[in-house]
Amino acid sequence: MKPLNLITLLLFIAGAAWALTRSDGTVRSIQNSYFAIISPFLKGGSGIEKKAFAFIDEVEHSKAWETKYNLAKEELDEKRVEVAHLRKLELENAQLRQALKFQQLTPFKVLATKIIRRQPSTWWHTVTIDRGEQQGIGVQLPVLSPEGLVGKVDAPSANTSTVILLTDESCQVSAKVDGTPEVGILSGQRGLTGDNPSLKLRFLSKDATIEPGMLVFTTGRGGLFPPDILLGEIKSFEPGPLHGEALVKPAVDFATLHTVFVKIPDSPESQASKANP
Amino acid sequence: MIKYIISITLLTLAACMVQQFLPAIGGLHGARVLILPLVFLCAAVSVNFASMLMLAFICGFLWDAQNALGPSGGDIEIYTNPVENLRFGYSIILYAMMGLLMQGIQPLFKRGKWHISSLLAGIAIFFYLFAEFLLINFVRGDFVFPRAAFYRIYLTSALTMLFSPFIFWLIFQLASACHHTIRYTGLKKEHRYID
Repeated sequence: MKPLNLITLLLFIAGAAWALTRSDGTVRSIQNSYFAIISPFLKGGSGIEKKAFAFIDEVEHSKAWETKYNLAKEELDEKRVEVAHLRKLELENAQLRQALKFQQLTPFKVLATKIIRRQPSTWWHTVTIDRGEQQGIGVQLPVLSPEGLVGKVDAPSANTSTVILLTDESCQVSAKVDGTPEVGILSGQRGLTGDNPSLKLRFLSKDATIEPGMLVFTTGRGGLFPPDILLGEIKSFEPGPLHGEALVKPAVDFATLHTVFVKIPDSPESQASKANP
Repeated sequence: MIKYIISITLLTLAACMVQQFLPAIGGLHGARVLILPLVFLCAAVSVNFASMLMLAFICGFLWDAQNALGPSGGDIEIYTNPVENLRFGYSIILYAMMGLLMQGIQPLFKRGKWHISSLLAGIAIFFYLFAEFLLINFVRGDFVFPRAAFYRIYLTSALTMLFSPFIFWLIFQLASACHHTIRYTGLKKEHRYID
């Protein structure tokens, strides 16, 4: 082996060993620096994508106007295009209203954020949101939507954050089945694809009386998620030799998710006022 | 040579940025084009061993900085079986292994048979994803291999492989811009003390 190759190999091994032995804190700070560098590109890319869609929309509408001008007979079609566009706006309006209503009605202090990137890695179910530490987002904070629990913040950087979704195996939630004393741990399943893969609720009693359609909520135990947040509904239950397992359909439609809410921890003053009303 | 290595490194960094905007395709079991590994593989076959290791380190480091998950957190009395994740830095080793695979067919590449390298890039990505999934199984202590995971691995590697001619074209353009000739040196007759 050439001396240069040998030296490079030794340096490579040393570098790999250094990387593999980093503590969680160091990895976090490396990731923070990395996302701080790429977040302007991510936000820019998301903006360009939005503008591209707006441009396509505009082109489509210009064509429709041209058709109307040239061919009066096609006025009806043109109206249909307009109606479709209005319906789109109406839907968008309804979504925004729903988001606003959720933000006003929720008992928690939440921060509305937009999803700017979906599933950036091969094996983890994650999304990137457009708020970070500068807006008060911290690690492990619950992420909600009006339908239910979305997941939790995994890696916040200055202006963006990675959210690990409920459909990922490593997002474990202490859950209870409504109307029963059953409590278990809910998580996603490894290697499953699709926008809304089933969740698995483990460590239930083997002789539990659980029926399809029953709702599953968070228990609030474990220090990660607030209680009574909807997680999904039971699809099936299978008793095992020691524990029972249930398949759960998530309450949130992850494919159509655009705005999510991060639960911001209460300030010490508001916590004190809640304790002593 | 130095200019070429620097330009390849810059190409790798650009690929890392482009990777941010390549989404998973839901209809294809979440498959995606892995442009960063592809650029690394195509570059690995055109550079020497030392440069390949340097690129493997950079790519693996960036990949893990982007994808590594933090600890699960929560009360350990409730979450008694926390889900383990892959350690930061594992990709550096996997990238180096893929790079070694590509270096193995460097003589063919330097003879102008880039299409074999192109095919091997797809195979290397297949093994990379497969090894990654096996590692996840290993650290989590059980073995699960759903059919969907196989389809995702297979379709991702096939989809990525389709883009390799373009990356090779880019690399050849870079080489000519840097006045670097990707030459075959394996059969060069060397002076020996004993014939």
